[in-house]
Amino acid sequence: MSTSQLRSEMVQFEFDGRQVQGRPGQSVAAALWAVREAVLRTTAEHQAPRGYFCGMGVCFDCLVTIDGRPNCQACLVPIAAGMQVTRQGPAGTSGTSGTESDGGAS
Amino acid sequence: MSPDSAAPKPSDASRLVVVGAGPAGMATAITLAERGLKVTVVDQNPRPGGQIYRYPAVPSTKPRDPDRGGALRELLAEHSDLITVLSGHNVVGIYPERRLGLCGPEGFRILEADRLVLAPGAYEYVPPFPGWTLPGVMTPGAAQQLVKSQGVAPGRRVLLAGTGPFLLVVALALHEMSVPVVGIVDTLRRRDAFWKLPSLLADGKLLKQGLDYVNGVRKAGIPLMTGHIVTRAEGRGHLEQVVVAPCDADWVPNHERSRPIVVDTLCVGYGFVPRLGLAQLAGCELTATNLPGGWIPVTDAWGQTSVPGVFTAGDGAGVAGAIVAELAGQLVGLGVAASCGAIEASEAQRSAEPIRERLHQLSRFRRGLDELGSLRKGLSQLADESTVVCRCEEIRRGEVDEAISSGSTTLRSLKMATRLGMGPCQGRMCQPACARRLYDLGLGSLEDIGWPAFRPPLVPVTVGQLAGLNDPEQEPAEAKLVEDAWDTDSAS
Repeated sequence: MSTSQLRSEMVQFEFDGRQVQGRPGQSVAAALWAVREAVLRTTAEHQAPRGYFCGMGVCFDCLVTIDGRPNCQACLVPIAAGMQVTRQGPAGTSGTSGTESDGGAS
Repeated sequence: MSPDSAAPKPSDASRLVVVGAGPAGMATAITLAERGLKVTVVDQNPRPGGQIYRYPAVPSTKPRDPDRGGALRELLAEHSDLITVLSGHNVVGIYPERRLGLCGPEGFRILEADRLVLAPGAYEYVPPFPGWTLPGVMTPGAAQQLVKSQGVAPGRRVLLAGTGPFLLVVALALHEMSVPVVGIVDTLRRRDAFWKLPSLLADGKLLKQGLDYVNGVRKAGIPLMTGHIVTRAEGRGHLEQVVVAPCDADWVPNHERSRPIVVDTLCVGYGFVPRLGLAQLAGCELTATNLPGGWIPVTDAWGQTSVPGVFTAGDGAGVAGAIVAELAGQLVGLGVAASCGAIEASEAQRSAEPIRERLHQLSRFRRGLDELGSLRKGLSQLADESTVVCRCEEIRRGEVDEAISSGSTTLRSLKMATRLGMGPCQGRMCQPACARRLYDLGLGSLEDIGWPAFRPPLVPVTVGQLAGLNDPEQEPAEAKLVEDAWDTDSAS
């Protein structure tokens, strides 16, 4: 498959207001990882960044808001054209990536 | 034979349900169909295959190796007159008389079964260590998913760490897709493997496969650091480096000889934990083991659990890998067919014989591997007091230790004292490691500590879904309501 063909088949969606393209069938987490958006949410208590961890729907770390619906598992939901994905922040608000981490930050 | 139970007297019209379409579930369904029986397979993924034989989400750019998963998928399709596959469906509850609560695209419904086979598989065991919640730290399985199914490189400098042959498998998968792998850190020391050679030699084919992986890694120029352990992950907002130290036979690191390695992705896993939620909801009796997760369902020689009519096969019944899972699925299929009266008990015995022989041979090899990978106490000492141990509820090790010194030495009491395990993952991530920590501290046997308790819904569902409304524009408030409901539930 040529690059141009691939590009024409890309799926466009939105992440925190930014336009992102992914390949059809990709999960939200994988499509975001591919564009180096690794921080998917900031935790409620410690404002710590979290992202893709187990990749199979077990850990619930990759929770994002999709089209207004909170706590969707980004590793399980496939991307769709026009989908609006937002990061979750403390108290369920759409937050920005945190810089603190749990314990291991240097 | 033993599947003579209090379960209803079956007939051709027996409603047979298999949960999980990994190697065990697929093999069970195929075996049943080969005996002319109708079976429904419920699976949460979009396509059959499970985690190990996952169907690629995006078309692969490289021709795929002939994979056993593809062959099993073809067999499922060949029997499509008898096998109904409900993909994209989660079992959220199991009610008395083998009634399953299913959540799928069409909403919630009840599926009744005369015989129920649970084949839920396993997930990776990652005990807490400083920095393990940083984005960029993931399981080897998650990295394998990215590269093999999603067509995405997990990083530009990837380190694999933990123990077991799966690290080698993932390292090679990454290398093949031109992802730079900076090394593999395994707690195992070379001499440990040497002492297990007699049992590993029990299966020459598998031993050769293992050695092929080691050779593949060597040829790829990937450094293999045996007898080492990752003690922490560090970075601001994203993983930037890990600290690696040599460790002793108990996996206790020598911090004085530790050194940093610059990476952007760490794939870490120390084996696999059987998924117990379904067996628990079905009321199956569990038994303690020394393997990750600590507990497996009690079964008879045909995979039937303590609950009549409920069977289990594959990694969810005790982790042993895909080859064993497929054979176990065949065995359970025969057991179910016999218990339905579809085949004579003597025929089931006869057909089972070569399968049991092969399983017996594999079990010696497996025991060798299990002993090599059995958890050592150094692993449960990696977290410091500020390390988050419950990723969902953000409970720190210090809070847990405080509760332990106040006398909470069971999973149940720790949960009530700290909220550990009360988030959406229901303790899948934190409780096995927490139980292990209590055990390593000498605070009781695994029986004393107890097993992680699951409650319906096994995966979060909205009130709307439960009511069969299936409204994609679900009110967030309703979703929250369900979460609160379980929290109260699980604390009771």
